[in-house]
Amino acid sequence: MNDPYQVLGVSESATDEEVKRAYRELARKYHPDNYHDNPLADLAQEKMKEINAAYEEITKMRSGGRGGSSGGYGGYQRGGAYQQYGQQSSSGSSVLQQVRIAINSGDISRAEALLANYSDHNAEWNFLRGAVCYRRGWMDEAKRYYQTACQMDPGNPEYRQALNFMENGTQQAYRPGGGQFSTELCGGNLCLPLCCLWWLCPGGWFCC
Amino acid sequence: MFGYVRPPLQDLPQEETERFRRIYCGLCHTLGQRCGTAARFILNYDFTYLAILLSAGREGARHTARCIAHPVHGRTYLESDAAMETAADESVILAYWQLRDGVADHDWFHSLKYRGLSDLLEPAYRRAAAARPGFDESTRRQLRLLAELEAENCDSLDRAADAFAALLSGAAQEVDEPVRRRVLEQLLYHLGRWVYLVDAADDLKKDTASGNYNPVALRFGLTDGAWTPEARREFAATLDHSIHMMTTAFELWDFGVWTPILETTLYNGLFRVGKAVLDGTFQAAWRGEDRKKSTNVEGTT
Repeated sequence: MNDPYQVLGVSESATDEEVKRAYRELARKYHPDNYHDNPLADLAQEKMKEINAAYEEITKMRSGGRGGSSGGYGGYQRGGAYQQYGQQSSSGSSVLQQVRIAINSGDISRAEALLANYSDHNAEWNFLRGAVCYRRGWMDEAKRYYQTACQMDPGNPEYRQALNFMENGTQQAYRPGGGQFSTELCGGNLCLPLCCLWWLCPGGWFCC
Repeated sequence: MFGYVRPPLQDLPQEETERFRRIYCGLCHTLGQRCGTAARFILNYDFTYLAILLSAGREGARHTARCIAHPVHGRTYLESDAAMETAADESVILAYWQLRDGVADHDWFHSLKYRGLSDLLEPAYRRAAAARPGFDESTRRQLRLLAELEAENCDSLDRAADAFAALLSGAAQEVDEPVRRRVLEQLLYHLGRWVYLVDAADDLKKDTASGNYNPVALRFGLTDGAWTPEARREFAATLDHSIHMMTTAFELWDFGVWTPILETTLYNGLFRVGKAVLDGTFQAAWRGEDRKKSTNVEGTT
């Protein structure tokens, strides 16, 4: 295993408080909530395991090897349960259940093919279609399918949650040093913050 | 390409802006060595980011040389390596096909500029395409697809953006390490999607006035080129989702010395540019004034 201090990005002489802070920052960054439905969620999960193991090891070393408890980070520890789609199809269709399984296992092409051949475009079909779009990076279409799913079945919390995430979900996303993750809410400072330092270098003037 | 991805200089210490400049100059020299002097004129920030993303996370040897742009004091630049050569070839291929696109999109008279420039770049393109046949092929395919979508007035933001996003993610196809390739493909896909959408938003007024294809106008029904609050909110949210996909991919690979530049660009720079484009201030504040002030800035670096 890698050096646990290196994993957390702190020196061996760091205080307990510094170690804890570094751990919390990393845990926030790789938390399952930040990789909700993300096609790279499996890689984030690996990272999270590595960070948890490193923190646990440091805590154990520092407490002289006594006790295995690393203190109250249960929330991050098991954070687990990468938001998987319920295995049970809400409309009771076996095909849509297979779609869920395909999405959970990352086989988006299979999920797409199954949906294309399913003629009953009910609320669940729209929801799953949205999930497939999201995985593909088609964010606008994803939102529109979730919208349709919510209109057809307004009481369904799974669909509502997905739509909420598309509408406001990124505002809580991880950003170093805090601050809102949003184009509209960023400080619109216009005093040439991105000015072109090397305009006189060749190129640029016709590349637009 | 478009010039929307830029280092937010105010958020970076000088050490980092210097580092960015070294790879910028390094890419310029690599373009010259591999593809001839004409190729150096395609140099821009977007291609520099491509070189950064493809690089191994280290800075190679440094050299100092004078060039056309810096004939007196010269500049320190990064020595060419495999990643920079890939970025140089791919940049030439992208720039060439974009110029050819310009020829196809304009009438005889207005296409003269594009024709002249693409003729100038032709020898460089031939060399680059011979070195990267896979990327050349995928670039042509995606641009053809994009042209078809434009011709049929496609009103899906995602379909239109996908053609360009997939083109850019193709730049990672030569990366061998599977995890790194997955991370880069995801990052480049959403970088391409973001650039395409921001460019469409930036051209909204112009395109609606001239009747040119504009996916943003079609998707939100903005026939007069003005944003409605609802459309603007939805559009900003879709941009944020792409930026989120970029940052989450970025965090899963160690980009070494390039980490501060990439982190600041992705977490700060893109939001700022997107906001300025939505406010309609991007062209005026960041393009026009670049030209006027460049001499001063150039003098102080």
